[in-house]
Amino acid sequence: MGIQELLSRFGERYLLALLTTYRLTASAFALALLLGIAVTVLRVSPIRPLRAAAELYVQIFRNIPGASLLILLVYALPYLEVVLSYYAAVLIATTLIPSAFCSEYLMSGVNTIGAGQIEAARSLGMTFLQIVRTVVLPQAVRSSVLPMTNLLVATMLTTALASQVPLNPTDLTGIVSYINTHAVGGVTAFLISAVLYCTTAVILGQLGSRIDRKVRVLR
Amino acid sequence: MSDKQSALVPLIELRHIDKHFGPQHVLKEVNLTVHKGEVVVIIGPSGSGKSTLCRTINRLETVDAGEIVIDGELLPQEGRKLAELRAQIGMVFQSFNLFAHRTVLDNVTIGPREVLRVSKREAEEEALRLLRRVGVASQARKLPAQLSGGQQQRVAIARALAMRPKAILFDEPTSALDPEMIGEVLNVMTELAKEGMTMVIVTHEMNFARRVADRVVFMEDGAILEVSAPEEFFSAPKTRRAREFLNTLRERERT
Amino acid sequence: MNDAKLSVRAALYEAPGPRTKRRIVSATALSMLALAALLTAVLHRFYVTGQLGARYWTLFTRFSTWRFLGQGLAGTLKVALVSSALAFGFGMALMLLRLSAARLTRLLGTVLIELSRGIPTLLFIYFFFLVAPQFGLKLPSFWKIALPVSLSAAGVVAEVLRSGVNAVPAGQTEAALSLGMRRAAVFFRIVFPQGLRFMVPSLIAELVIVLKDTTFAYVVSYADLMQNARVLISNHDALLSVYLVVAVIYILINYLLNRLSVFAAAHSGTAGAARI
Repeated sequence: MGIQELLSRFGERYLLALLTTYRLTASAFALALLLGIAVTVLRVSPIRPLRAAAELYVQIFRNIPGASLLILLVYALPYLEVVLSYYAAVLIATTLIPSAFCSEYLMSGVNTIGAGQIEAARSLGMTFLQIVRTVVLPQAVRSSVLPMTNLLVATMLTTALASQVPLNPTDLTGIVSYINTHAVGGVTAFLISAVLYCTTAVILGQLGSRIDRKVRVLR
Repeated sequence: MSDKQSALVPLIELRHIDKHFGPQHVLKEVNLTVHKGEVVVIIGPSGSGKSTLCRTINRLETVDAGEIVIDGELLPQEGRKLAELRAQIGMVFQSFNLFAHRTVLDNVTIGPREVLRVSKREAEEEALRLLRRVGVASQARKLPAQLSGGQQQRVAIARALAMRPKAILFDEPTSALDPEMIGEVLNVMTELAKEGMTMVIVTHEMNFARRVADRVVFMEDGAILEVSAPEEFFSAPKTRRAREFLNTLRERERT
Repeated sequence: MNDAKLSVRAALYEAPGPRTKRRIVSATALSMLALAALLTAVLHRFYVTGQLGARYWTLFTRFSTWRFLGQGLAGTLKVALVSSALAFGFGMALMLLRLSAARLTRLLGTVLIELSRGIPTLLFIYFFFLVAPQFGLKLPSFWKIALPVSLSAAGVVAEVLRSGVNAVPAGQTEAALSLGMRRAAVFFRIVFPQGLRFMVPSLIAELVIVLKDTTFAYVVSYADLMQNARVLISNHDALLSVYLVVAVIYILINYLLNRLSVFAAAHSGTAGAARI
């Protein structure tokens, strides 16, 4: 099938698929950031059980394959009488995994600051919250721009998990499977999705490194 | 300096300080009083506990036993009171520890603005004055990483001065510097001493100690072995260990 | 004296005073209670839904269950290792394109790397599963999973190799050239072997990604750990317990690989970054 025929038959579906992927990516990334920050706060806290729990959380979701997690959410949870919508299950899976990596990036961002600056702030008479607000957070955020950009792209790639459950509209990966089961989409159907993913990834990457160059902390 | 000594108002008092790092006994029954306007230089071999002692004064290191009194007030163990006392004692570190994401000017104004609630304009005027005084005013808009080590350390001194501290602690301020930059930092410190700033200095710079110190404290293995006037310490140390320490230093200088 | 060695966590929360100590103790107790309550709630959920029932778990006391899962795991490891080897080959080729002297090949390398890195593995899988057969490319299921997984990893591998090569001081190249060595020989015999040291941690970390991606093998019906789990589930009617155990197996293997990567990084003096 040529690209024109394909687009005239499935054009609207492609647009919806792209929007679904973007929507999933944006919500999952925002949630992953919040969760990642919360988990990081626990990981640096002086309260041991919380530290251990947060560490366990990170190790679990850093290491579980996306398919495994999605299957647990979709097919296993109902046995515990917890039934999620397909969209919710995909959103949760694509949030939990990036949130663990988000915390890892934040931890290494915090670690680059070094204890010395914190001691210097302390010797000026700053309180804990002042130190966090004026020394730790600004530097952690600035040095996290590149990792977070990569995380955003990775989150988008993770949302391809959505193709593994029946969603309507489908996501950008699911539509390739949809078209090929309803018509002979051929390589064009694949290429359209591939180019859309890639272009988005490249644009996000460029944007990220541009921001990074502006705010990077010289060391 | 006898006029200073005659006043003898104690500013920093360390009483019966004891500290362990795990099995290591790093501070043993340390007693030391630093008077207003006095310059006390702490020397001793590395690992003798001199840095640790310096850092206990504003509780960057905790102690196991003993008390620390700053200007008549017992150093609190936590909370706002501790922060307030810390604000009155400046500290200059071996590795400068400037805030990497803020300009030189911001580094000097951040303390007064955040802690003392000074207005931005006032803080910046004062900061520029201090930066001129330590000779780095022309770098005010740069970031720390764009400065040489010597310049960074002088900014760190200005940052400490901006809090109008009662005393400044120097924890090996020149140990991380290239030889050609040590002088510029020591000159600033000498000026401060002349102006009557109370200073506690941990250093390996013996000539500087001899010139600037009112008293020299010799530490080894976590204990103060000797407190003397500099002339007396360097020409006729009382303890055998101090003699040995000075001899090794002289040996090293000769070779 | 030792401020450089102090961890940021230790620095952020200074040594607590007596009041803070009391607060930490009570917060510790409270949080332990909360975590215990959470665990109890989860177990309770398992209990009331009957999922703690013996019939869901006794199958794991049988050797045959583990042998069958082991066979699946062997399939997973086989496809993961072949995919990794392929990814290394593809990645090497992409890196050589990217570093080549000619502008056009360099551009080609960049585009291919971006494609590999910017396309989800699942989309590659659908290409080999749905699209390729339309052109008469009928591959065995092993290759239908190994090829897409390796293509998807190749871009990252290329970047890892490139940064490893770039980490080798330029003086090495200059010294080798001054000995009269040819460019290719300089690269493969002097620069690349030295760069390998910097690449190993990231390459091990990349293994984790490959292993995770192989879990999509069920799409093409290749008998991996996940696929064998499905068979177990239909035989024993024990979905939740089997999928949980399988998830734990994956997590443990990946965790160990990550530890290995950190260990290698510590030995080579490089920093291995976590990659999703």
